[in-house]
Amino acid sequence: MPASAVLGCGRHLPARRVTNAELARDLGTTADALETRTGITVRHHAELGFGPSDLAREAGLAALADAGLGPADVDLIVFATMTPDIAFPGSGCFLQDKLGCGTVGAIDLRAQCAGFLYALATADRFVRAGAAERVLVATAEIHSTALDYSPRAADVTPWFGDGAAAVVVGPASAPGVLAVVLHNDPTDLERFWCEFPASRHYPTRMNREAFDAGRHFYRFDADAVHPQAERALADVTAEALERADVSADRVALYLMHYVDPRVARRAAERAGLPADRVVATAEAAAHISSAGLPIALTDARASGRVRAGDLVCCAAFGAGMAWGAGVLRV
Amino acid sequence: MPEPVNSRILGIGHYVPERVVSNDDLTKLMDTSDEWIQQRTGIHERHYISADGGPADLGARAARDALASAGVAASDLDLILLGTLSPDVDFPSSAALLQRNLGVRGTPVMDVRNQCSGFVYMLAVADKFIRTGGARRVLVVGAEVHSTGIDLSTLGREVAVIFGDGAGAVVLGPEADPQRGILSTHLHSEGKYAEKLMVEVPSSRMRPRVTEELLDQPGSRLWPRMEGRYVFKHAVNRFNEVIGEALAANGLTPADIDLLIPHQANLRISQLVAMGFELPEEKVFNNIQRYGNTTAASIPIALHEALESGRVRPGALVCLAAFGAGFTWAAALMRW
Repeated sequence: MPASAVLGCGRHLPARRVTNAELARDLGTTADALETRTGITVRHHAELGFGPSDLAREAGLAALADAGLGPADVDLIVFATMTPDIAFPGSGCFLQDKLGCGTVGAIDLRAQCAGFLYALATADRFVRAGAAERVLVATAEIHSTALDYSPRAADVTPWFGDGAAAVVVGPASAPGVLAVVLHNDPTDLERFWCEFPASRHYPTRMNREAFDAGRHFYRFDADAVHPQAERALADVTAEALERADVSADRVALYLMHYVDPRVARRAAERAGLPADRVVATAEAAAHISSAGLPIALTDARASGRVRAGDLVCCAAFGAGMAWGAGVLRV
Repeated sequence: MPEPVNSRILGIGHYVPERVVSNDDLTKLMDTSDEWIQQRTGIHERHYISADGGPADLGARAARDALASAGVAASDLDLILLGTLSPDVDFPSSAALLQRNLGVRGTPVMDVRNQCSGFVYMLAVADKFIRTGGARRVLVVGAEVHSTGIDLSTLGREVAVIFGDGAGAVVLGPEADPQRGILSTHLHSEGKYAEKLMVEVPSSRMRPRVTEELLDQPGSRLWPRMEGRYVFKHAVNRFNEVIGEALAANGLTPADIDLLIPHQANLRISQLVAMGFELPEEKVFNNIQRYGNTTAASIPIALHEALESGRVRPGALVCLAAFGAGFTWAAALMRW
């Protein structure tokens, strides 16, 4: 059975940077208050009319170029997003067309903020089973169009940003994907969700009452979710290292993915990880659910913080509540 | 590293809501007729929910039966996959809601959003996890509640008459015999035609994503749009192609197929596909007459009924094939 490895990666952030000062006006507060509340300083917003598949196209081309490949080499697309281009079909189909890949399979996954790890695990299994040789794992979010820009959302909206990243997964003589551990606990999923439109609501999915109550906007109970995230991120990092049979000090960089970068850092501390080897993904450009980890991975490689042959550990926690961690040799 | 094995279906179940909606019932809501619907689609009736309930609720009923018939406890599952194009809520996944309905925590869960091809796509994913030792017990659920998202006025009739609510579930596990279980899976997409069959909103391309004018009213973009003739033509061609591809990959011919279960999109499509492969009626399973098109749920519902009615004998070669929105299409061959 072949092993799999990440052969290339790329990312794309939309050009427009949105500061806390810009958001604060609509949210009825101040830039300082937003930063104190969220730990976020800046996010990017996509141009109006763009979908996740447009951002993923840029990231996908960069990842393919990084791997020395082109769209015609791709034999499977795995696309993770929680903000799809349209309700259906999935963004993977749009990406297949925009990249000009052959009529390859395009699996559209939904695992929210842990989407990259779920997609990576899926790609890894297809490669190891010999069912695919060049899998494009694409992740992208456009949160900016979904958010509520009114004072009632001051505790939710600042956390989220737009962006995309992609990695190419293929066979390797030595394992590059050492372990991916995945979990979900739905017990309190209403603490971080978006309810409407909702097929389960009889007789129609969206109605005046839900609309007027703003139930089509994200709800996030940060105070309740933060402690759960901190524990889960610390535990799952240890679990993935153990599964990969790698000791914590051999890892060059830990990428910790959660809406609040301070909680991500506290989780790293709790797991006993050295602070100088930790990146909290939301520090750079806010929380980009499925794409935050591969964006941080691409940036760490570009800056030389991670070099060829280094071990990287990626951990994520988010809505669902879905979480997981992966250990990669890049 | 574990030896490569196949995966196979260990248990199966399905569930449809009790409320039956006949073609005549629909004529009270829109300008259509039983004759028109039957002639174009073969559908006599479909099931709709009659109170709050989503794919995760219908899916849990199907899943409990599948788990029971497999002799597997929900707590023994290593992975839960749910396919739907009518998710319970915007986020998180319907798979998370299903997991809660099944009373388990910690298991990895994800939605696979591949529309009418969703079930075969999920089989492919589950199969690869099992073959490589990444999971031993995988629950795969296709579930849809279309009835809350279709325009039941005359404006929406072309699409509305087709769809029904329902859920089907299978439990997959390892199979040591390389000649049995899932032999191969084949997945395809062509996004050039994504907007030929779609629901446009909520769309992250629009700001705001959901606006007042999208509320449930005739012509709302919350409701599906389809260019029926376009979809029909592509469906027949792609069904033929992907079934041929699956057979060729295993050195088999159409004559080797014991039972073809096409995604129940339209009886006329299934009949043309069967004719193309010269498959006699007894080698093709259709039940769209009673359920309409239940997208991701149609194949497991049909497979369960085929098994219950004795149409699948040990050793039988079963071909599952699907085509739908995306466009996506897919096939899986399995030896029972």
